[in-house]
Amino acid sequence: MAPRRRKSRMVPQQPDRRANRTILLRTLFLMLVCGVCAFVPLFVKLYQIQIVEHEKYEQLAIDQQTRDSTVSASRGTIYDSKGTPLAMSYTVYNIQLSPRDIVKLQDAYQEAVETAREKGKEAPDYPEPTNQFIAEGLSEILDLDVADIIKRLEKVNSAYEIVKWRVEEEESDAVREFITQNHLSGGIFVMPTTKRYYPKGSLAAQVIGWVNYNSDGKGAYGMEAVYEEQLAGQTGRVVTAKNGKGTEMLYRFEEYYDATNGNDLKLTIDATIQSYCERILAKGVETFEVRDGGFAIAMDPNTGAILAWANSPTYDLNSPWTVTDPVLAEYLEKVENDPGSSDQAYLEALGQVQNQQWRNKAIVDTYEPGSTFKAMVLAAALEEGVVTESDHFYCSGVATVADRKIRCSKREGHGDQDLATAVGNSCNPAFIAIGQRLGAEKFYDYLENFGMIGKTGIDMQGEADNSKGGLVWDRDFFTGVYGETSLATASFGQRFKVTPIQLITAASAVVNGGHLMQPYVVSDVTDSDGNIISHTDPTEVRQVVSAQTSERCRTILEKVVDGGTGKNARVEGYRIGGKTGSSETGEDDHTIVSFLGFAPADDPQVIILLAYDNPKPVSAGSNYTAGGWYISGGNMAAIMAGELLEDILDYLGVEKTYSAQADTLVPNLTGLNLADATSRLKNANLTVRTVGGGDTVTGQIPASGASIPGGSQVVVYLGESVPTDPVEVPNVTGKTAEAARQALENAGLYMKATGATDYGSSTVALSQSIEAGTLVDRGTAVEVQFIDNSGGGAGWGF
Amino acid sequence: MPKLKRDLTMEEQLARGPMDLPFLMLVVLLTGIGVIMVFSASYATAYYDSSVAQNNPTYYFVRQGLFAVAGLAVLYVTSKINYQTFRWMSVFLLVISVVLLVLVLPFGYGRSTVGAQRWIRIPVAGSFQPSEIAKLGVIMYFAARLSKRNTEKERRLSPRHPLSGVFALLDKIGLLELVPYILILVVVAALMLAEPHMSGTILILAGGAAVLFAAGVKLYWFIAGGGLAVVGLWFIITNTSYMASRIELWQDPWSDPLGKGYQTIQSLYAIGSGGLLGLGLGKSRQKFLYIPEPENDYIFAIVCEELGLVGACIVLFLFALLILRGFWIAVHARDRFGALLVVGITTLTAVQVFLNIAVVTNLIPVTGISLPFFSYGGTALMIQLLEMGIVLSVSRQIPAPKQG
Repeated sequence: MAPRRRKSRMVPQQPDRRANRTILLRTLFLMLVCGVCAFVPLFVKLYQIQIVEHEKYEQLAIDQQTRDSTVSASRGTIYDSKGTPLAMSYTVYNIQLSPRDIVKLQDAYQEAVETAREKGKEAPDYPEPTNQFIAEGLSEILDLDVADIIKRLEKVNSAYEIVKWRVEEEESDAVREFITQNHLSGGIFVMPTTKRYYPKGSLAAQVIGWVNYNSDGKGAYGMEAVYEEQLAGQTGRVVTAKNGKGTEMLYRFEEYYDATNGNDLKLTIDATIQSYCERILAKGVETFEVRDGGFAIAMDPNTGAILAWANSPTYDLNSPWTVTDPVLAEYLEKVENDPGSSDQAYLEALGQVQNQQWRNKAIVDTYEPGSTFKAMVLAAALEEGVVTESDHFYCSGVATVADRKIRCSKREGHGDQDLATAVGNSCNPAFIAIGQRLGAEKFYDYLENFGMIGKTGIDMQGEADNSKGGLVWDRDFFTGVYGETSLATASFGQRFKVTPIQLITAASAVVNGGHLMQPYVVSDVTDSDGNIISHTDPTEVRQVVSAQTSERCRTILEKVVDGGTGKNARVEGYRIGGKTGSSETGEDDHTIVSFLGFAPADDPQVIILLAYDNPKPVSAGSNYTAGGWYISGGNMAAIMAGELLEDILDYLGVEKTYSAQADTLVPNLTGLNLADATSRLKNANLTVRTVGGGDTVTGQIPASGASIPGGSQVVVYLGESVPTDPVEVPNVTGKTAEAARQALENAGLYMKATGATDYGSSTVALSQSIEAGTLVDRGTAVEVQFIDNSGGGAGWGF
Repeated sequence: MPKLKRDLTMEEQLARGPMDLPFLMLVVLLTGIGVIMVFSASYATAYYDSSVAQNNPTYYFVRQGLFAVAGLAVLYVTSKINYQTFRWMSVFLLVISVVLLVLVLPFGYGRSTVGAQRWIRIPVAGSFQPSEIAKLGVIMYFAARLSKRNTEKERRLSPRHPLSGVFALLDKIGLLELVPYILILVVVAALMLAEPHMSGTILILAGGAAVLFAAGVKLYWFIAGGGLAVVGLWFIITNTSYMASRIELWQDPWSDPLGKGYQTIQSLYAIGSGGLLGLGLGKSRQKFLYIPEPENDYIFAIVCEELGLVGACIVLFLFALLILRGFWIAVHARDRFGALLVVGITTLTAVQVFLNIAVVTNLIPVTGISLPFFSYGGTALMIQLLEMGIVLSVSRQIPAPKQG
């Protein structure tokens, strides 16, 4: 390797300037291209991605790098006015599969078996997590179809397959145990969520509404829908970082957004009064063969607070899709069994029936108020001074307005009547005259002032607006030349439509001293810690009539119940005022019978509006139902309203005031002398009959403490022994009051009359509390219910 | 027994000249940054990998670090070699390359992991890609041969030969002298395509072409070659579903977000979320099993995510400086061989940088090209540093500017 040798082998290079120059230029060219030009597009592209599209890519990256799990907020509770929960939420669990992760578990199991075999170790001590095994295990616990679960498990790209929604504690515990035992914690998840529960079932169903899980658990009807935002609360989030395999990132990254629980609602509804209303509604629907249900609203007339709001047909809030109402169920069954109808027809009928049971009839629907509206006409007329109590009206049975004859309900006419009697008779010609005295302008003013045009603004879902769609006349027409007939029909509440809530709100103003109150259902909204967020104070919309006018109306309306068309609503001991109504609907044989009642008449604590829509006549054109009930407000709604009002007043603790015939307790007379005994009985509003000639009382019938009607005779034994043999109860049904009393007295019994107040010849006993033929002690009081079922005073306009 | 300076030939004295320090600094800087980025990028992969890395987060880092140290040693040793010896070595290197490329087909591995037979395992040292050696072999041989271009014996057939006219014409237009180069490129490319190794083939063709170009081969051959490549490419794109789907994925990676578009999408997420300043060194989120093998071809995406546009541009700038300095060395090289050798190596590096970053940013369709000094791979890094050593070796013999 001598350098010398090597050097000799070197070929001396010839200077080749041209070639060198080429090489230089081309190298410089490459230098420019590789060292500068190539970097320009790279820089531009990087700028584009990192600066221009930075936010887009960052968002996309964050979306995939983070797991955003929601923390569900607990939905608020709905309470009644006494604090009874009507709707509440509790924790349940969704059973979620992650087929993607289950595949991994299965692979891991296989691998474990493989390694175990290679190294001679024991195989895993739990069963292989095959799809079949998992499906069978879950189906047993959750009562699901095995094939269905397998189908879900085969979606191996999915990580989110919920096999069962809202599983109760017991089942979810079983699933958890199944997961732990079989090492499936990476593939099956028990995710907490909430379920809505309505402790009172169907109570106030249309008012409370329900939560529809098919639409994100949002409130579907009633308060649940109206106060959705308040009740729902704010869903919280937990954001955690995850790696590409879906497990937690190496370093912790977590952000919490707390869930805010929903607010609670306190309703003005009283569960007890509500249950009374629903009971009476159901009873009436059954008794009167009512085809289209009905409604009952109870309100505090002084505040506008709704105490009860019942609709028929109704349903169980805990399973809103199920049809339980007997009338609807019967209809549905008919469709189902009809060989001519298709499945499609059945589904349509089902949907229609479901809508019918969910709809809040008393606010969504409008109806012609009928004679119940006369209360407002009366108040307006008294306020304006166009009538007084001493005015007289003559009814010939027909009134002629603008060349049209309008018949009164009593064809032969009511004859001469003073104002109170005219109201009591619900005489249409009399009210046409009153309306004419008011004049169309004034009349329309009062329509407006009583809130009969437009919404009341109650915080209830779906209030109909009768000012739209031609449900009520506009002022121009009403006061115009063609408005004369309208004024006449309006005077007795026909040919215009209002919602029930409008009517009861206006009626409240008539009886509460003239204040039109804003009706409301929610009294308080409180947060989950109990802090009051909002409280509804009673709001007066306007003073419609004076307190004096209101008082005069109450007096007159009390007479409607005390001997007028509403006499069937009378309850002994309570002063009830009211107005009956039988509304036309424009359809044949379709009447809405209603009763508007308030009590006590001197200081109203409660006002109710009870209506039955479409009692079924025995035959077309008949005024009677198959059960023999005359179809009118006075004969149907009133009798039920009386019972309802008695329940409500008892519950509210309103004291009974006794008239001469009111029940009284028999005092203990034993040991007293005759004079003392007589005066004691007199104090108790009882008369005396003596048996025997002694001076001291040795016995009495009835025994002390018994409750008998005032004015009854007590038999006092002076020395003689008291007869102890039982007596047989006579049959008094169908008898007039006097005959019934006589029959019972002859048997040594007392009669307690209930129901009607006017015990004339048309009033007959409907039922007796102790069946005829029963042997009872002497002096026992038999309760007899009377009803005025003449029908003569009822008919169009009642 | 070291020789004294006076005993050395002039050539030997030249070979002991100073290395080009700026170039050395750039190489060391890039290697250092590269190793750190391998650590950051591979951390999560290694942590989650129980089979190869034994869940040891520093697994890849330690390996890469050791190879980098060894590689720098190799670089130093190589720079000490008088690069003139590469003239004769180049022939052997080329032959060895071809032999290895043949051997890799039956004896190599890689088919099961990446679907291509690219690696040969050597006991102890690990495994390497014959294509890496082939790149160097081709460039070295081309440079050696082309540097003697103007002293080559005239090719001439006897005038009586019937084809002498055609021959003379071919010689005149310069085709004749290209024949050996084209043959070599065709053989090497064919062998590499058999693996298959498309990206490696592109690099070798680019490296070879660069040397040919710089050496002064007539321009119209490049135009013709370029035209041929374009036509071929167009033909492949329009007639094979494989390329067509690649192009489609390039246009819209979201058409197959969980399959073939996955890498690109994840890379874009990483780069995009880096923004101007990045998430901070070590704070990449995309390396957490989103980007597959983030320490490898897609390491630049992690650089962008962690260091932002600023960091990425600094790295790009360093690469640009390295390349510019490389060409500067080529321009100042003592002889034509040195110049062409450096041009080849530098262009190869530049093309590799460009293609890698262009793929990572979805500027061009996906091809598997690693980023010099950055991508994980011990032997690749060593060969890379060896090439840099050759450049430095050339730089030693740059004549000192005359004192003035």
